[in-house]
Amino acid sequence: MSPPPEGGLKPLDYHVLLALAGEPLYGYAITEAVEAESSGAVVPGAGTLYRVLARLVTWGFVEERNGEDEAHPGRPRRWYGLTREGRRALADESRRLGEVAELAMRRLGMGRP
Amino acid sequence: MNRLVAFLIALHPARFRERFGDEMAEHARDDLERARASGTAATLARAATLAMGLMGSAIAEHASPTWSGSHATSIKREGVGTMMMEWIRELRLAIRSLVRSPGFASASILTLALALGANAAIFAVVDTVLFEPMPFEEPSELVYLAASSPGSDLPEEFGLGAEFYLDFRYEASGLEEVATFNWFTSTFRTPERVERIPMSTPDVALFDVLGVEPLLGRIPDPEMDEALISFAMWTTWFGQDPGVVGQAYPMLDGTTREIVGVMKEDFGFPDDRVMVWVPTTFDPAEVTPGNFGLNVIGRLAEGSDAESVLPELQAIARRAPEKWGGSARYAEIAENVIPIVRPLEEALVGEARAPLWLLMSAVGGVLLIACANIANLFAVRAEGRGRDLAVRRAIGADRRHLIRPQLAESVVIVGVSAVAALALAWFTIPALIAAVPDGLPRITRVSLDGRVVAFTAFTSVLAGLACGLVPAVRASRPNLSRLRDGSRGSTRRRTLGRDALVVAQTALALVLLTGSGLLVRSFQALYSVDPGYDVENVFTFQFAAEEAHLVDGPSWAAFHLATMDRIRAMPGVESVGIIENVPLDESVRGVRVRTGENPDAESSVLGQATLAAGDYFETMGIDLVAGRGFTDRDAIEPGNVVVSTALAQMLWPGEDPVGRQIESTALPDMWHTVIGVADDILQYDMRGEPEPLMYYPIVFENPQATVTSPGYVVKTERAATIAPDIRALVREIAPSAPMYRVYTMKGLLDRVNAPITFTMIALVAAAGMSLLLGAIGLFGVLSYVVSQRSREIGVRIALGAQTAGVQRMVVWEGAKVVAVGVAIGMTGALATAGLIEGVLFGVRPLDPATFAAATMVMLSVGLLASWLPARRASSIDPIVSMRAD
Repeated sequence: MSPPPEGGLKPLDYHVLLALAGEPLYGYAITEAVEAESSGAVVPGAGTLYRVLARLVTWGFVEERNGEDEAHPGRPRRWYGLTREGRRALADESRRLGEVAELAMRRLGMGRP
Repeated sequence: MNRLVAFLIALHPARFRERFGDEMAEHARDDLERARASGTAATLARAATLAMGLMGSAIAEHASPTWSGSHATSIKREGVGTMMMEWIRELRLAIRSLVRSPGFASASILTLALALGANAAIFAVVDTVLFEPMPFEEPSELVYLAASSPGSDLPEEFGLGAEFYLDFRYEASGLEEVATFNWFTSTFRTPERVERIPMSTPDVALFDVLGVEPLLGRIPDPEMDEALISFAMWTTWFGQDPGVVGQAYPMLDGTTREIVGVMKEDFGFPDDRVMVWVPTTFDPAEVTPGNFGLNVIGRLAEGSDAESVLPELQAIARRAPEKWGGSARYAEIAENVIPIVRPLEEALVGEARAPLWLLMSAVGGVLLIACANIANLFAVRAEGRGRDLAVRRAIGADRRHLIRPQLAESVVIVGVSAVAALALAWFTIPALIAAVPDGLPRITRVSLDGRVVAFTAFTSVLAGLACGLVPAVRASRPNLSRLRDGSRGSTRRRTLGRDALVVAQTALALVLLTGSGLLVRSFQALYSVDPGYDVENVFTFQFAAEEAHLVDGPSWAAFHLATMDRIRAMPGVESVGIIENVPLDESVRGVRVRTGENPDAESSVLGQATLAAGDYFETMGIDLVAGRGFTDRDAIEPGNVVVSTALAQMLWPGEDPVGRQIESTALPDMWHTVIGVADDILQYDMRGEPEPLMYYPIVFENPQATVTSPGYVVKTERAATIAPDIRALVREIAPSAPMYRVYTMKGLLDRVNAPITFTMIALVAAAGMSLLLGAIGLFGVLSYVVSQRSREIGVRIALGAQTAGVQRMVVWEGAKVVAVGVAIGMTGALATAGLIEGVLFGVRPLDPATFAAATMVMLSVGLLASWLPARRASSIDPIVSMRAD
């Protein structure tokens, strides 16, 4: 396990963590969740997704889990879930994003009442 | 696609692949599965995105790995495993080094991807159109049957008569089954839609000969009024409603026929565009011997081939007169008949073959030139490493290890280019299908299939070897003298190989340039052919009126004469006429013609016939060389005809044809009086000779001479814009009648000339690309030479050499190379010109003007490409150049 580099999480890292914050998911289900949760703005392809997963596993944010699998063709799927560090990283990043978003709204004169 | 995905996954680093490969493959499968639900276009787009994404992640993972995994195990592998590992490491290094020189990488990939993509797209067309087996049972057993009869007035190859057909069918043991086929356009009518569409009335045996079954329903019974429709018609006219089977519609000659079956999607015979088949049978009692012109197809019996059946067929043909009777002239023809048996494939594809091969060779040439350019780029790159390689060699590295890094780079370049080329082909193939002229068999089935991928993989490997291996081998025996400080070796010898590449490029580009020049000239010649009528300012259309009062001949006559009057009164309309077969749109029927002087069937000659009325000749600008054209009276009272000059000369050479009596098999035993002679016209084929033609008046009294929806021709300067006005008029006259076949004559001419236009544009594009690549190659070599010789040039300038002198020196360097290339290219062009002869028109394959022009263009481009580096040479600052290293 090596620590994440300076500069924090990239948007795709964040979305994958977000998708895995609920129950464990397997690869394609992550893509679908990310696509839905970003309103279609972020759609990781097969190559990119696994590079992100590899990175997140290396950083210790994501680990392999046992998932509940329905019957499907091919070999058993690998399921992924968040580690405690992953939850913390997601929370930190969410907080940071929230603050940034609030700042933006204020500056645009659209602050919450 | 799965194979492509697997290949792309394999490009990822081994550690990453071992851990995530299976998941990636499954992910890709799910991805495509989901896209497939939203249609073909979405799937293609998705697949392209997926391929590009996987390629990107493979490169990214090599450049900055995200997965370290455990590599202790993999290093221990021995033998093949070790070599694989070394290669993978080498590829990864190559990717990193290419990422560091994006200019070189993108230039090579762009060039190669374009060339490989063009090859993939053209190959897809060539492979499907020329090589895909026809969708019939045992297609190699199918033959086209015709005949030739030396010494008769019949064409060199003519279609069989019904009697030969029946005898071949029932007597020839070498033929398992025989059938006739044809196709033409005729009217098909549903309550919503009326159009003239391609139809066929084959012998019902055709379906047995071909061994095909309908998708829905059954093969019609020829005794009943029944028809089959094509899959395309089922889709476009009836929205794939299975309920159409059992429905009856007026078609062909207006008879209402029941649709009893729908053919499969891949069935289209004799042309993919045929939409309706109305099977018939031949009644031997109605056969008139000597009525030639049937298209006949047969299936060879087991054990016989196209050669072995000939004697039997000839014997059968010779017996025909005693069995069927007929004239003495007929007996002579039958005696001399030589049956022709050709593979059906060849008969159907014949004409398309030459242009397609031409295009395939042209894009092949472009690929060779592209490879030469990239080989040059690699050589320059290797040159830059010369000293490094020399050091490695000096301390004992073996050749293999010196070659490998460069070969690895070319593998990466070619791999990426190949994938990009496939993506390119994916997008260009549909455009290509839309652009090729109508009538190419199987063209709609062209797609990026496994064979195209395999072909691209194969050409890519060849390209990779050509691009990478040669420069790599050369660079792997670097001159150890280069280790001496400051030594620069001999520029001369080092550029020799590169000069050779430029010579080859120039030669190939010149061959392509000459070929495209010949096609441009043919194109011009075809457009300057005088067809005997005007193509400018003539508008043409048809409409199928179905008004209640149109019940008999006189009502039709009054209707069309009145319609012509209405159109004539429209603003800007000069004149209007009607014709059964609009030139450039349809061909006319062949007939046998007799004269009042020689009324016996023996002396009849071959001609063609059509029906006209109104101011047809005036509207089309067809000159009347004698007598007069038709008046409205001729349309009501039968008896007068107009003949063409060619027919008049054939029947009454040197005499006045006006007032003579004439009869043809179009209206048997109805004698007509010649009232005028019209100038010859080219009905359909701009490359052909005018056929002898007779014009009957459209006479509505005679059911055989009634044409209820003839082609209208309208002379007006508004030809391109008048359609809406005419449409409004038609809506007023016959509210339910749709208008169809709406063209300008100019538009029809473009359609007829489309094959050569397409071939020309494609070849000019290929030649342009090769010229550009060749120029870039020359530019690159000379720029390199200038940079290598900058010190020498600096000294010359310091010693007082003039700018012009220096420029001349460099340009001369380029000119020598180009001149050698032009000489070789000229020889090549002369040697290959014969190959495109069949495509050309109005220009000889060795046309000196074209050859001269192509050479001039090549030389000018060569000089321009030399002049740019020359200018740089002359601006070299002697002080800077001498101070450098």
